[in-house]
Amino acid sequence: MRGGKSLPHPRPLPKGERTVRFSPTEVGVFKAHLSLRVLTAAALILPGLLQPPAQAADDDEVAFQYSHYQEGRREMFGSVSQFNPIEVESVHGGGKFTLTDRVKFAFNYTQDTWGGATPIATLPQAFNGNHDVIDYSISPDTKVGASPYLSPGSVLFDKNLHPVQRINDPNGIGEFNGAFFRRNNQLVHTLSMASPEVRKQGDFKLGYEWDESALDIGGGVSIEDDYESRFGNINTRWDFNQKQTTLNVGLSYTHSSIHSILDHDAWPYFHKDEKYDNLTILEENGGTHLISGTKQDWSAQMGLTQVLNKNAVLEASLGYTRSAGYMENPYKAVNVAFIDPTAQDPNSSCPEAAIDLVCGNINAVMEQRPDERNQWLGGLRYVQHIEPLDAATHLGYRVFSDDWGITSHTLDADWVQPMGQGWTITPRVRYYSQDAADFYTPYLFSPQGEHSNVIDDKGRQVMLDNDSFDPEKAPHYFFDPNTGQYFDEQNNDVTDAANNGELTLFNQTQLFDRKKLPQHFSSDHRLSGYGALSGGVTLSKQFAKGISLDLDFEYYTHQGSLKIGGGGEGSFADFDYWTVNAALKVDLAALAFSSGHKQPHQAHHHPGHAPAGVMFDHMLPKAGDMMVGYRYQWSSQGGAMLNGLNAVDNPSIIAGGCSGNPCYMTPDSMAMHMHMLDLMVAPTDWLTLMLMPQFMDMNMSLRGLSTEVINLGNLNGHYGHHVQNGHETGGIGDLGMYALFKVLDGNSHHLQVTAGFSAPTGDVDIQMRRNHQTDGGFIHYGMQLGSGTWDFKPSITYSGQIEQVSWGAQASGTLRMEDQNKSGYKLGDIFQATAWGGYNLTPWLTASVRGVYTTQGGIEGEYPGAHSDSANLFINADGSPTSILKFGPMDYSQNYGGKYGDVGFGLSASVPSGNFAGNGVSVEWLQPVYTNVNGYQLGRDGTLSFTWSYGF
Amino acid sequence: MSLSKIVLGICLCLNLLCVVACVPVQPWERGNLAKPQMALDPYPLQSALRAHNYGSREAAAGGNAAQGGGCGCY
Repeated sequence: MRGGKSLPHPRPLPKGERTVRFSPTEVGVFKAHLSLRVLTAAALILPGLLQPPAQAADDDEVAFQYSHYQEGRREMFGSVSQFNPIEVESVHGGGKFTLTDRVKFAFNYTQDTWGGATPIATLPQAFNGNHDVIDYSISPDTKVGASPYLSPGSVLFDKNLHPVQRINDPNGIGEFNGAFFRRNNQLVHTLSMASPEVRKQGDFKLGYEWDESALDIGGGVSIEDDYESRFGNINTRWDFNQKQTTLNVGLSYTHSSIHSILDHDAWPYFHKDEKYDNLTILEENGGTHLISGTKQDWSAQMGLTQVLNKNAVLEASLGYTRSAGYMENPYKAVNVAFIDPTAQDPNSSCPEAAIDLVCGNINAVMEQRPDERNQWLGGLRYVQHIEPLDAATHLGYRVFSDDWGITSHTLDADWVQPMGQGWTITPRVRYYSQDAADFYTPYLFSPQGEHSNVIDDKGRQVMLDNDSFDPEKAPHYFFDPNTGQYFDEQNNDVTDAANNGELTLFNQTQLFDRKKLPQHFSSDHRLSGYGALSGGVTLSKQFAKGISLDLDFEYYTHQGSLKIGGGGEGSFADFDYWTVNAALKVDLAALAFSSGHKQPHQAHHHPGHAPAGVMFDHMLPKAGDMMVGYRYQWSSQGGAMLNGLNAVDNPSIIAGGCSGNPCYMTPDSMAMHMHMLDLMVAPTDWLTLMLMPQFMDMNMSLRGLSTEVINLGNLNGHYGHHVQNGHETGGIGDLGMYALFKVLDGNSHHLQVTAGFSAPTGDVDIQMRRNHQTDGGFIHYGMQLGSGTWDFKPSITYSGQIEQVSWGAQASGTLRMEDQNKSGYKLGDIFQATAWGGYNLTPWLTASVRGVYTTQGGIEGEYPGAHSDSANLFINADGSPTSILKFGPMDYSQNYGGKYGDVGFGLSASVPSGNFAGNGVSVEWLQPVYTNVNGYQLGRDGTLSFTWSYGF
Repeated sequence: MSLSKIVLGICLCLNLLCVVACVPVQPWERGNLAKPQMALDPYPLQSALRAHNYGSREAAAGGNAAQGGGCGCY
């Protein structure tokens, strides 16, 4: 078999046969491959750095997975958060392939898009960190939301430093000047909102196997706007004792760089320090506050797996990780209660001291974590076969300890129950408990004033002249509180001048002393003491032909009261989430086997491949056939703004792009990535059904149209924010469902008709976050993830081939079947015509050229509240309201749609034989040649399409 | 808990278990061990996702370096 005979030892068996050498009919049973699983499971034990276990090379397999994470609302104790809880949408695709008998390759791509409310600090409820937003148009008591507020200013405590709140109820702890007070120790998170952000990760693993050992090397990169990681790892495996004992050793390294632009809407409201916070202020970039840092993690781990008997396996593992560098979360602050012992005078600085209250001031600083972290892990995992039910149970325990003071324990258990006919159900439960980090604190006290008077070495208060504002250059004066005398720098007595108003003096003040704060502090509730309980179930169905589908659900609850031994954080930090995910796996080895061993699958593709950008170009040949495909599309827009056919400059955009309203900014570039899954099945010879889920993400950069508008009223802050950061959205798009009918299927000519629907599963109500006391409004129409309407999508496709030459043509349409979507508008209908020709360069490679003409109507309707909601007005410098929540041409519905012409160049390849028989890949570049837009729109750079399909 | 204690504990446990529980298992007796449900991790795709969620939510599960990459800052 493929050269194995020349080796001194028998060739390494396919994975299924590795642990047990049984007859080929039993091979199917042995897909567990204990030894390699060990390697990957060991990687799981050591979190963080090593390749996730999904990446294990196993049987050749292609897998797709979608998951949704949804957090519950946090307890706000009376405030109303208008922010939706965190949601994450993830999509994952990967493949594992046997390149030669001994060489394996695996790759993965993962993309997450997340957004939602997240705690940025913690404060006593009495101090109102979530500033209520009142809708006065309803009543002065109508709370419609809450704004995060890091610096609520003056606050009161009782003598034991319990927070004190003003109330209307006389049954409190005292009365002063007609106000009543009560103690309120309740803490609450200050919630802030993040606009959607996207993370993308790609990684690979290359493995070589010897008879009783293996070596894997892997690496990858994870990219976010503000955080980038690169990682590499090496793992080895040795089998001993007739493979009853397996040892795994692994080493990995991660380098991360942080490049985080501080929220300009937040930084004026807390104290920053360039030295403590790794902060750079980019003056040339509008004073942008940039936090940058790097972090390195080294990790080593070892695992030992022992077959205990014919029904049980035990694994023990150990890991050590050393992390060094910037480990703060750049978006978390810690509130500090400054209590100045010298400012508690009931006659002046603190009137409430008269009823024994203590005056303080609240502000915030960025969290500070140590620059080093050493982490140890130990784990045990036990697997037992339950003979009477043919089930298996997994029991795990992990202990973790680090030098931040955190020790944690994790217990988990599951029960994998096969139920016949390919069904398996797996319920599971997990419990986790951790101690708080040494430096965790909800908020800090500091016995000093946030600002205090500067005192000279003689105990005199340093004063400044009102006329000069620069504390460095100003002539200084000195006030001696003991004698009541004023002196100037030459020590002349200026008491008379100060008292008769000739000199207007005021105290020179200084900011608090950083060194009096603890060295490290964080109020991130992930570093608090708590317990977490979670449970879920995985339902798996193995279909014929090597396809399997897994559905998985989990519910997770984090509670301070669940901590082992008690003493966990209060209930304000509790939260819960649920996740659901679906995975589709295609076992390539089983496919090849079931479809008759390495038969070419060309029959499933048209003899001449249609270019990658053409959909619905082929049907499955006969009843019972199936196909799995993946389709990727990247579209880029950029260059000049167009009006109709012509490029236009800024004054023209301002004049015409915004319907006579002010035009503040315009798109500079836009990119869209779409990942689509093609799932096809043929119930009869003449009908093919197709399901096409989509996952997409988009990003847009913007530029300002005129420097003058930067000074426009409260738009000011918005402006900088949008221009600096751009906009991102991502998540699942609309779901396509199609029926393809065979009309003519001759030797050289094929004709088929497709009728389909697109279900509005993509979001059309994504909004930008509120800032500067103004809602962000809906994101641009073109960046919503779907149409929001049910759409009818018919098409007719003709194709033909004679010998090496192929050709085809298609007409297709998208018709919106509803008048408007839930956000008040509908996208324009689309009509597209395309024709192509192809030539077979080799029996497996086809080159193609294609022409495309597309016309799309404009948007009808518009977002709700786009003109009338007075609570959301942008106010110009002259006090006049602008047309609100519209920044530029991309926010006006008339600037959508147009007529487009493109030329495409493509290559298609199909693998006729060998390990990868039945796989087809195509790629096509569409070059715009004609663009005639409605209104004012960004030009087009082009579109890249890639498809992979596997028929069986 | 120090590293040496963890190491010692695990080694002891394993030794002890093997002394009382290890039985030589011949290749032809490994049918049950090779079943999919007996894999150390029967659902690696799902456990990787869960590990990522735990990693971004728990201090002990990797924190900022979850799954080789990603801030998990939310």
